[in-house]
Parts: sequence; structure tokens; C-alpha cells
Amino acid sequence: MKAQSLLLEERQGFIHQKGSCGSVSIQCDTESLSGAVSQRACVYCGARVVLNPITDAFHIVHGPIGCASYTWDIRGSLSSGAEWYRNSFSTDLSEQDVIFGGEKKLWEALSEVTRVHSPRVIFVYATCIVGVIGDDVRAVCKRAEEKFGIPVIPVMSPGFAGHKSVGYRMACNALMELLSRAPKAPKRGGSVNILGDFNLAGEMWIIKNYLEEMGVKVVARITGDATCEELMHAGEAALNVVQCAGSMTYLAKRMEEAMGIPWIKVSFFGIEDTSQSLIHIAQALGDREAEKKARELIARETRALEPVLCRSRELLGGKKAAIYVGGGFKAISLIKQFREIGMETVVVGTQTGRKEDYDIINSLVREGTVVLDDANPAELEYFIREKQADVLVGGVKERPLAYKLGVAFLDHNHERRHPLAGFVGVRNFVKELQLSVNSPVWQYVR
Amino acid sequence: MSKKLKSLTVNPCKMCMPMGAVHAFYGIARCMTLLHGSQGCSTYIRRHMATHYNEPVDIASSSMTEEGTVYGGEKNLIKGIHNLCRLYDPDVVGIATTCLSETIGEDIEGIIKKYHAQYPESRVRLIPVSSGGYMGTQFEGYFRTLRSILRHVDMKKEKHDRINIITGMLSPADVRTLKDILSLFPIAYILLPDASDNLDGGYEESYRRLPDNGTTLEEISLMAGSRLTIELSLFCPPEDSPGEYLKEAYGVPLVRLGPPVGLRDTDAFIKLLSEISGAPIPERLKGEQGRYLDAMIDSHKYNAEGRAVVFGDPDFVYSMVRLCCENGLLPVVSATGTSSPRLLELLHDEIGKIAPGLFDEEYAVLDKADFERIEELALEKKANLFIGSSDARRIEEKHGIPLVRCAFPIHDRVGGQRISTLGYSGSLNLLDSLTNTLLKIKEGNYRKALFETYFKDSKVEAPQACGVSATDLHPCFSCTGAHRYARIHLPVAPDCNIQCKYCVRKFDCPNESRPGVTSQVLTPEEALQRFLDAKKRLSNLTVVGIAGPGDALADFDKTRETLRLIREHDPNVIFCISTNGLALPQYADELVALGVSHVTITINAVDVEIASQIYSHVTMMGMRYSGMAGAAMLVSNQLLGLKLLASRGVTCKVNCVVLQGINDHHIETVVEKVKSLGAAITNIMQLIPVKGSAFEHLEMVSAKTINEIRKRCERILPQMYHCKQCRADAVGLLGEDQSLILYGKKEPVQEVPREKKGLRFAVATRSGILVDQHFGKVDEFLIYEYHDGRVAYIERRPIGQYCTGGMDACDSQEDKMTRILKALHDCEGVIALRIGVAPQRRLEEKGIHTYTTYDGIHEAIAKIAREMTGEEAV
Repeated sequence: MKAQSLLLEERQGFIHQKGSCGSVSIQCDTESLSGAVSQRACVYCGARVVLNPITDAFHIVHGPIGCASYTWDIRGSLSSGAEWYRNSFSTDLSEQDVIFGGEKKLWEALSEVTRVHSPRVIFVYATCIVGVIGDDVRAVCKRAEEKFGIPVIPVMSPGFAGHKSVGYRMACNALMELLSRAPKAPKRGGSVNILGDFNLAGEMWIIKNYLEEMGVKVVARITGDATCEELMHAGEAALNVVQCAGSMTYLAKRMEEAMGIPWIKVSFFGIEDTSQSLIHIAQALGDREAEKKARELIARETRALEPVLCRSRELLGGKKAAIYVGGGFKAISLIKQFREIGMETVVVGTQTGRKEDYDIINSLVREGTVVLDDANPAELEYFIREKQADVLVGGVKERPLAYKLGVAFLDHNHERRHPLAGFVGVRNFVKELQLSVNSPVWQYVR
Repeated sequence: MSKKLKSLTVNPCKMCMPMGAVHAFYGIARCMTLLHGSQGCSTYIRRHMATHYNEPVDIASSSMTEEGTVYGGEKNLIKGIHNLCRLYDPDVVGIATTCLSETIGEDIEGIIKKYHAQYPESRVRLIPVSSGGYMGTQFEGYFRTLRSILRHVDMKKEKHDRINIITGMLSPADVRTLKDILSLFPIAYILLPDASDNLDGGYEESYRRLPDNGTTLEEISLMAGSRLTIELSLFCPPEDSPGEYLKEAYGVPLVRLGPPVGLRDTDAFIKLLSEISGAPIPERLKGEQGRYLDAMIDSHKYNAEGRAVVFGDPDFVYSMVRLCCENGLLPVVSATGTSSPRLLELLHDEIGKIAPGLFDEEYAVLDKADFERIEELALEKKANLFIGSSDARRIEEKHGIPLVRCAFPIHDRVGGQRISTLGYSGSLNLLDSLTNTLLKIKEGNYRKALFETYFKDSKVEAPQACGVSATDLHPCFSCTGAHRYARIHLPVAPDCNIQCKYCVRKFDCPNESRPGVTSQVLTPEEALQRFLDAKKRLSNLTVVGIAGPGDALADFDKTRETLRLIREHDPNVIFCISTNGLALPQYADELVALGVSHVTITINAVDVEIASQIYSHVTMMGMRYSGMAGAAMLVSNQLLGLKLLASRGVTCKVNCVVLQGINDHHIETVVEKVKSLGAAITNIMQLIPVKGSAFEHLEMVSAKTINEIRKRCERILPQMYHCKQCRADAVGLLGEDQSLILYGKKEPVQEVPREKKGLRFAVATRSGILVDQHFGKVDEFLIYEYHDGRVAYIERRPIGQYCTGGMDACDSQEDKMTRILKALHDCEGVIALRIGVAPQRRLEEKGIHTYTTYDGIHEAIAKIAREMTGEEAV
């Protein structure tokens, strides 16, 4: 099939092939095109992703059953304590509720939950129809908070109000509301909050271990394996370290305004990013000792990884990768990670990347690489074939497509069971790549 | 209904209508689905189906926006249909509404007309279905969609000889089995829908993104003229039933049967096919039936031990319950998330017939269920098997009840598209899975279960899951346990019935980390609350201990009540008590009955004369006995108590405090004696000298000597090397006392290290709040600086323990001392709970002063520094 007949005119601006002049003018950060089969999710999804890892929170979805059913315990965020977040609570609105309003049901739900379980904090997600049927979720939450004496925080996340990024923002607003209830406390020197790691497969623990080895204290983990109590202390940290920039930069900015906490962006995907990030944290804290320890840690870990990477370069060098992930920062880290083992990225796309992200991406990839924003399966299929990618990195929905095309696949989603962050993540990353790319099955189907 | 949360659905046992709509459309040839609503609906459904079917699942969305929500989504929808047709070139587009488009009242039929007006050249057939998420579940959404398909295809009314077969949401493999059965009869049929290829495609050289197999529009148009419809669903509501529609609109006769799963329902279906085709039942099917019957007999006794929880769509639950019942496997809980009173009625008939024969009348059937309720009932009815989708995986993980995955959705295994339960062959396949799951439980546990039930001569451990012995989970009895499992000591017993000369009991001194000291004495009710709180925070909490602060048996009423209350809330936690043993003979039987599985007895001597030097007096039945009389009474009761407990299967540890010049040469005798009476392990400990006690000035035995004694005794009995001499209200892992954190005190404020300006002190501390560690036990010092009347934290300095007290004893003591001296080179002083004479001398030689105190760190430093500088207190 020809690209021309396959690509919708209105999608042309979202697809860019890096040319010799190197400039980029890709359309992005807009609403998805109707009928184009976007891989994106909705506002509720974005909000839920960010808040869900708070382990002792009660996440109540106010709406019909679907939203709660499809988000029940599907993510790989781990907990060292409470398990409440692994439940899915829904007001399960019925046709009757849609006609007569769901406020009463929500109020009863909140009264009952506080009576039976004494939660530390409740997040109430307002889904698509809640506003349409006229429920005032904010008012119900406020009244519940006054009556039951625990934070009851509305998360305004109707699916249609934008794409996933808007949901991140709504979640950050909810977090700020929670933090605003914390009593003023003195700063703890040399300490940090980690923002935007969701403890998938224990990644928050891995990062925290590194920081502790450097002597840097972690005050609040936002939100992987977090507890409500821990979040309430977030204002005491000296520095905010932002891992998933797409979802949490907004929170970092708001915390800087409200609490005077400076922030830096970091990434723990790949050796280069992880190393730079650790040193950056130490320097941002003005902590020479931590910096020295970070350098020791990096030297030790890099040395240990060298044989693994050497072998990977032999086995994978020259292979071509296609990337389709949620956010721009993850895509950027992946391009660098592929480069570390001599692989070239031939297709790269994101669901919610921004202009700045695409500028960086364009500067990292070679001429001819296809850059896509909010791609659909047809486009992915076309470019994976055209660019003869050997492996696709993506999420659950993209996996079967890669397999049908006879292409290897690397899971970089929220459901994975193995860490990809930190130095250990590099090991897992190249291992998974090797196991898939060099699997014997391909010789029978290609 | 006793569900905990009545006004909330907790962990849904259902999905929404559009999910059903998508499934129905997937069985139509060259059909794409467009969900009219927010982008998330299609993405979530795609994700759910992609993990189950392991196939690309492309579902379009009209990607409604804020503007569309306010002014209507017509423009977006028309554009969406057009784009979808451009990309996939389908013959049919199913347009399913969602919560949002349904609520704002979109007129889909009208929009379809406008689309055709705008694109007159388009040949695509647009089929709308009203499927707001709140209007029902995927079950109704599925049938309603099939019905809508029939309503929107141009029907040909001419009669013909074919029959219609309409099915529920079957797996692709089951659809293939169905077609296989049909092919054995001389019957022409139209199957609606048929997703057997679209949701389980093979690998092909060229990938076709449009699902182009399935029931064609041409076939569907003939359904109005068929001679009969067989609808394989008993619970589809009549108003959503496609078969009812064909009957009403075109007079096609309708037969409704349950899905052909299990013996009886497959028999009924095969018999019907034989009747309408006029052909005898083929030999192959007779053979399959015979094999299924044979398997039923072969495994019936194993199945009789099954107690199943069946959950899912009404038709699925009905089929599974019938299959279980005909095999004598009792469905103790049958639940559907959909509302279906008729299902409940039929289930009662079915299960009620077999339950009495299986000695159990107790079973539950429920509709509109969620997993909170299903979980409660499963535990209540002692279920040992779940049958359904992977949605029960959390219950499987949490309670160890195995789950046979055989329904949509399955997220954590492969092969969802190949679930096979239909016909004799599918039923046999499923039955084998059920039986083998039951056999796995039995084969994996019977040796242990029988041993524990009948082998009375040796220890019987407390009830435990997963084959781990209770002792392995006890940090104070097992080295592996020490590092992984947490315990909580509950201070409920303030009184003591003996006076040891090394003890002064006070309750209000949180800086002493040793037995008999606690911040607060609790009532049994408070103790229960503290346990429940701690359990929430510490998932690895396996042990409840009562270690005083007095003697657990001197206040036995309180101890008994505490244990009883906790047992009501937690059937598995290990009970452990600590006692001097004086009252043991009196309470040994009661302790066993309460489920106490571990007891620690402190026996410092088995020789009455030696004992008389250690104890001032004992109190028995209100009388005080001192000297030899008291000692004799104590020793004889300790030994008798130990014997009683050990013979009743209780694991006994004997603690023995080494007292320089009193019992230090008597320890091996003690260990030999207690071994002969059944003790499992001994813990030989150092004396912690306490101010105000009779032994305040008794010199401590060196750690090296303690280790030598332990090594000698190890030849007699296992030794505990990891004892941390816990407080009576300790919580957490050994060596990580969390009680100060749990009970409301804060971590210290830390500051960044800076250049030295004033006096520096190295502090030996465990809590980080108080000077509460022996110099010899530290593996790190906290460094503080005193400058201008202010105490500031500088940093942590790890040095490796001066004396590990472990197996390697103190061979390299000298190296460690050198390391410490080096680490503390810039310090003016060292502040510790206690310090030995030798290290003190070495430090003083280097000009480092030593101070011993129990004070708070900041207070201690301020006091000492002011003394050094001659400043006045502020």
C-alpha cells in the first residue's frame, strides 16, 4: 500500500521524516483525529496513572462501571505496605442515577467507606458523564472532608476534556490539594522528593537505594509506593527530582511556587541518563560528598555492565529499532539507550510528546528517521515495514501488531514485571532485546 | 447480604456495554467498530482485548472533545466514519454509543443519514447500537448489538432450508468446535457471529489489518428466511435477544438452549441437531461422549473434594455450575455481575440437588456481585477452586486459592483465544483442568497435612500457609526469620513475680532497649489495636510476643485476654511469650490451648545455690520466698514448666544471662539440662547493667567470652547469635525497632555536613534520638557539632562494628579499634550508653574524651559541651 493512500491528509502534519536540513515542524499536543484509531487514552487514564500508586489511598471512580473495571489492578506499581490501591471502587452509576443524578450515591459511598475502613485519603475521580448529569463532585468532596475529617480530594477527569496529559495535570492538582493540607514544617537539608516514578517493578526502590548510597535522603516518593503520610511531608524536601517529566513537571512547578522547592529533571533509563542524573542531584544539593559517592557508584555499576554491553553490541549492533511510547522523555531516553548498544532508531513516535521533545528527538536521530505524533496502527504498520525495523518498543496494544508483522517487541509499559530503570534496568533492557530480537522463532516466519 | 461496602461496587465482576458491542461486531466480516465517545473507552477496551486474545485489536473512537460534549458530536462522528473507511476500507462500521454520547442524547440514526448524504459514493453499511456503559453489562451489550445488526441489514424474506445459530461470547476455539460439530450433520447453517478467525488469526506473510473473516452481510440477510433459529443463550433478556427479533419480525421459529457445555447441555444440542437434520448422531460424537463419560467416572472422587467459586456472565456461570454439578464438584459460590434473577432460580435447582449428597447444604448464589462479596463468601464457604476469568487473580494471590482461567478476560496467561470448554471435547478439556488443579492441591499437601494431624510425638507447629514452619517465620527463633519477618511485643503485663538482681523495672524510659522496659503499659484492648495498626504497616508481621514488661504469667488474665482478642482477628499469627517460668506449671496447658507455639524461659541457673545469688525473692500465691527456698521453688518450676511445654509441642527457647563470677562457669550445665527437658534453642546473653539494680556495678562479660561460651554450647543445642535484647514493646525486624516511629515520635532533622567550627562529638545511637547504644555495638556514629550554643548534626560515619558478637568473634578487634580512632580523629568526645575500659583508654590516649549517659542526643551534647567550655546553660 502506498503511503499516500494510507495516510489521512489531516495526519500528514503529525508525521515527519528527518531531512538533511535538520529542522523540524511536527504538529503535536492537539486533540486526536476522530476515526483515526489513536493509541492514546483519556484524561481519566492520565489522572489514574499518576495517583494510583499511592498505596493507602482509596481511589473511588464516580461514574458507570467501565472506567473502574478497566483500570482495576492492571499496573505494575508495587507496594511495601498497604494494598488498598489494588482495589477498584466504583459508584457504578446506573441509568436511574444518570436521570436523577449521582451525588447522593457518591455521598453514601464516602460515608460508608470512611465508616468501615477509616481511609487516610480518598480520591474521587469524576468521569465523563458526571459533569454532564450535573453532579457537583467538588461540593460533595468538600462536605465529606468537613464531616469525616480526612482529605477527600476530587480529581476532575472527564475523558473528553483533552488527552492523557490533561489527566496528569488534574492529578497534579489533586496532589497539590493534598499537600496544601500539610502543616508547615521545617526543611530537611540535603533531602529530595522523587517525582514521576511509579515504582513499576520496584523502580522507585532501586532509585531510592542509589540516593541512599549517596547519602541523600528521600522525603516523599511521588507517587510510587507512596503513603498519604509520606506525601504530607513533601514540603520539607530541599529539592524535587522529576523522573517522568511529562506527568510531573507541572507538579514540580507548582511546588516551587507554593513551597519554594527547586526542581531538576532526571531520567533513570539507560547508563548515560542514570549517571548524569545521580551527579546532577548531588550537585543540585551542593553536596560534594554525595557527588563523590555518586561517582563511585557510577564507576562500579558501569564497570559491572561493560561485559554485558559488549556482548549486546555484538549481538544487536546494527539492528533497527522502532519506538512508540507514551511520553517524549521516555522516547528520548530510549534513543540514547539504543545508541549505547549500537542500534539505530528508524521510527520514533509518542502519544503525548511536546514540541520541545520532538526538537530533541530530531537532533538525536539520523536522517531518514520517521517521527510520529499520536500515531495509529496503520501508520505504525506502514513505517515499521518501510524502515525494516527489527524491534518495536511499545505498550500492550502495540505488541500484537509487532508480532503479526514478524517483528520483535520490547515491553515498555506500566504492566511489566521487570525493572527497566537504573543500572539493573539496563541489564534487563538489553537482555529482553536479545531474547526477542534473536529468538529462533523469526527464522520460521520471515 | 453482608457485603462490607453496600453503596460501592468494589472490584467489579462485570464490564460495560460497549465491550459486548465490540465483541459482537468482531464476528462480522469486514467490520470495524467506532465508539462514539471519549478516546479512553476505545483504548481501554483495546487493551483488555489485546492481552486476552494476543491479537491486534483496532477500535476507532470519535475522540469527543469538550466542544463536542456541549454542542453534540455529529461533526466528529461523520469525520470519524470517513477516516475509518479511508484507513480500513470496511464493508460494515458498527457505531456503538458510550456513556457520554448516550447521556448527551446523540441521534446516531440521524447522523448516519447525514453521513450518507455527505458521502453518497460510500457503500459502507453503518450499524448503530445504543450501548451506554450504564445501561447494562457487556453481556446485554453483546446481544443488543447482534439484534441491532439484524435490524439494520436488508433482510431477504424468502424461505430456505438453513438454520440460524446464534451464540453468546464464545472463545474463538469454542466457535471452531461448534462449527466442527455442525459439520458432522447434513445441515446448512448461518452462524452469528463468528470471530473464530478475527480474534485468533494465524501468522500470514502479509498482515491484513481489517478483520475480513466472520459472518458476511449476505449471510445475515438470509437469516430472516431460515427455518429455525437456535440461540445458545438462556439468559439474554428477550428485548435484546436476536432470536426473539427474528421470531417477532419474520416468524422464524426459535429454540433457546444453554451453551453446549457439559454432558447434559451438549447432549441436548446434539439431539436437536440430529432431529432437525433427520440424521443419526455421528459415531465420532458418540465416541467423544463416551470418553467424556469415562473421564467423569475416572475423576469423580477427586472432584468430590472440590469447592468451587464460579463467576462471570450468566450463561457462563450456568454452564460451569452444570458441569461442576454433574461431576459432583460442589459450586459453593456462584456469582454473576449482571442482574439475572432467572439464573439464581435455575442455579438453586441445580446445586440444591447435589449439595446434600456432598454433606454440605451451604452454598451461595448471587447476581449483581462484585469481588469484595465473592471474596468474603469464598472464604466463608472454604472454597478451594475458582473458575472464571483472570479477575480472580488477586484472590488467588492473596489466599492461595487456585484459579482455573477459562473466561474473558485473561490478562496474566497466554491462550485466552484458545479456551476450550464447548462440546464433549471442550468439556473434557475443562474437566481435566479442574480435576488436575484439585489434585495438585492434594498431592502437594497430603504428606504434611497427615504428618501434622497424626504424628503426635514431636512438635506440631501453629497453622501456617505455604508449607513454611512457624519457627521459620519467627525472628527470635530463626536466623532466616530474623531478617525477613517482623514481630511485635505487646506490653500488657506490668507485674512481676520474682526479683532478679539485675533488674529495675520502670515503664517510662524509652531510651533503654532491653527486656522489661516499655513506654506504656497497654490494656488487652489497646494491645489489640496496636497489633492491628502495626499489621497494616508491616506486611511481614508474623509474631505477637508478650514479654512483660513484667512477667507474662504474673498477670495471666491480661495475657490470656490479649491473645484471645488477637486470635479472633488473625488465625495465623504466631504467639510467643516470654517468662521467668515460675508460674509455668500452672498455665502450661492453658497456653497450649490458646495456641501459644513459642515460649522463651529465662533460666540463669539450674543449681539452687547459684540461683539464690541471682534472685532476691520470688512470690507464689501471695507469699514471698527468699534465699534458697525461693530459688528452689523457681528452678523446679522452670524445669517442670519447660518439660510440660516441650512435651506438648511448644517450641521453647531458654535465655540465659551470663553473670561474671556467678554463673559464667555454669552455663553449659544449664544448656545440657534444658536440652534434656526439650528446649529447642538457647540464647546466651550479656548482662545489661542497670543503674539502681543490685548488679549495677557487676562487670560485664566480654562479647568475646560470650561467643566462646556460645560456641561451646553449640555442640549441645543450637544457639541464637542474633539476639538484640529487645524492648518489651519492640515492633519490626530485629535490629530495626520501629516503636518510636509507630508510636508518634519524629525522625531527627538532618543538615548538610560543613567545615568544622566547634566541638565535635561522636554519638553511639540506635534510635537517632537518644544516646542508647553500647560503644562496642555500634557500626556507625552520628557526628554532631557544638558551636555557639547550638548542637548541629553533621553526618553519619559508618565504621563496621567494633565487636560483631558473631561467629568471627573479635579476632580483628584491633583493626576495628584503629578504624574507629581514624574515623573519630576530629572529635573531641565520644558519647555512648556504655563503654568498656580498654577502648575508653585508647580513646583517651588520643585525646578523645568518653562520656556515658542515657540522655537525648542534643541534651547530652549540650550538657557535656557546656561543661567543657565552662559556658552557662541558656
